[in-house]
Amino acid sequence: MPASLLRGLLLFIIAAVLGFALMGFEMLASRYLYPYFGGGINTWASLIATVLIALMLGYLIGGALVDRTMSPKLCGALLIAAGAYLFSIPLWVDPLFSWILTGVGDGMAGIIFAATALLLLPLTLMSVFTPFAVRLLLTSVSFGGRLVGYVYGVSTVGNVLGTLVTTFTLVPLFGSRALTMAFAAITAACGLVMILASRFLRGDRP
Amino acid sequence: MRLSPTAFGVAFAAALALLAQSLLVQTAAAQQTGLLEKRESTYNNIFIFGDTDSVTMTFGHNKRYFTESSMKLSDPGALTVDYTRMMTVGLAYVPKVERILEIGLGGGRTISYLKAALPDTAILAVEIDKDVVDLAKKYFQFKESATLRAVVADGRSFLMRDKDLWDIILIDAYRGPFVPFHLLTKEFYTLVKSRLAPGGIVVQNIEPSTMLFDSATATLNSVFPSVDLYDGGGNVVAIGYDGPSARQTDLMARAGVVQARYNLRYDIRTMIQNNRRVLGRPTGKILTDDFAPVETMRAIEQNNEKWKDQTEAPR
Repeated sequence: MPASLLRGLLLFIIAAVLGFALMGFEMLASRYLYPYFGGGINTWASLIATVLIALMLGYLIGGALVDRTMSPKLCGALLIAAGAYLFSIPLWVDPLFSWILTGVGDGMAGIIFAATALLLLPLTLMSVFTPFAVRLLLTSVSFGGRLVGYVYGVSTVGNVLGTLVTTFTLVPLFGSRALTMAFAAITAACGLVMILASRFLRGDRP
Repeated sequence: MRLSPTAFGVAFAAALALLAQSLLVQTAAAQQTGLLEKRESTYNNIFIFGDTDSVTMTFGHNKRYFTESSMKLSDPGALTVDYTRMMTVGLAYVPKVERILEIGLGGGRTISYLKAALPDTAILAVEIDKDVVDLAKKYFQFKESATLRAVVADGRSFLMRDKDLWDIILIDAYRGPFVPFHLLTKEFYTLVKSRLAPGGIVVQNIEPSTMLFDSATATLNSVFPSVDLYDGGGNVVAIGYDGPSARQTDLMARAGVVQARYNLRYDIRTMIQNNRRVLGRPTGKILTDDFAPVETMRAIEQNNEKWKDQTEAPR
């Protein structure tokens, strides 16, 4: 198998796995938010908005970084940082949310504050990966359109599976705390792969 | 354009007639039959149905209507839904009834009944849906006063922020066919317990037709050492309290005192005599904030009478 194909395969796998974990975290976040802010349409609206803001920030930051460095190591380090943050969530989520509930209340401000504390930073770091993957795979402009389509497509397949499998299978089997830690570990593992395979992922481009 | 005084008078009279007409239509609304009002609120699709002598609040869910409250127009004080009468049996369990909290208002019939019977008790209802409160006032004669109030908030959120203690906490929070999961977990019941005055109790309406019932009662029992269950014609009313299971004779004696003092329309002695079961062998899995697969459990149906297997007759 030619190196370029293998490189593409590896990055697509990471894209799918991260896509899965990202939406998994969104579904899990609802479980953390419900007990404090109720399980209504307003909780979901705040949660979805927070995740979309994280995606936007991640794409912007990732795009700026990859044009400057082309360094898979940097992207890997950010993913490990995201994993570490997410792994720690079960430790501090309850005291923080009780504090937000008493200090800020359970209106829109309170829910968005809580969702932001929970997900904004790690999900931003995770979505930095997408522009990195596009840039690392881009060898010819004539292939650029399809390439972007593939990266987003594969990552979205991960999103869809993450949403459905987490909700219908994993949460009923394992509970939300254990799953949060497992997904965090998987995110960090993706980062580790990026660092270890850094030279290979960069290829032999200048 | 200038109006002659006569024309003005005619127009004025016509306007008055129209206004009177619309007012008449308003007051007659409750006697209409069929769908009286439909409201899509933040949390529910609410339908108010009228019959010749009743008005019913239902939440629409999956093309089915789930009754949340019902009132007889010719006898508004009656508790027409069986389980709501069982919700009042808790009065026999507590040393005093100065303060009652209800989570989930519906039409407010249960607390309006309690308010009428116990005028000196402070009663507060926590209802997440503002439209439910509005409709309870509009169609179900729910009236706020100094001692009967409603606040709009999520029940658990409210309990976390409000540190007041209550003698009885009634929980009747359904969204259509089911109870939101965060009102069924061990952490929730622990919070409820921390907001009870000494000797206070929790009374919850639980639907017994799925596996979720077994878990709900087991979870309640993990926080409250004693759990009594009352068959409420389709629904089951669970009462959780501290200490050993109350002896039937003691409970009946206390019910007698309460009955004599408040002269309750629905005699709680009869309910204790005929409907009380004691939860002896909880079989369900305990639900926590971490692990609460309520959707899966709800999907597993069980016989409506099967819940009695876990109970024994009171001694």
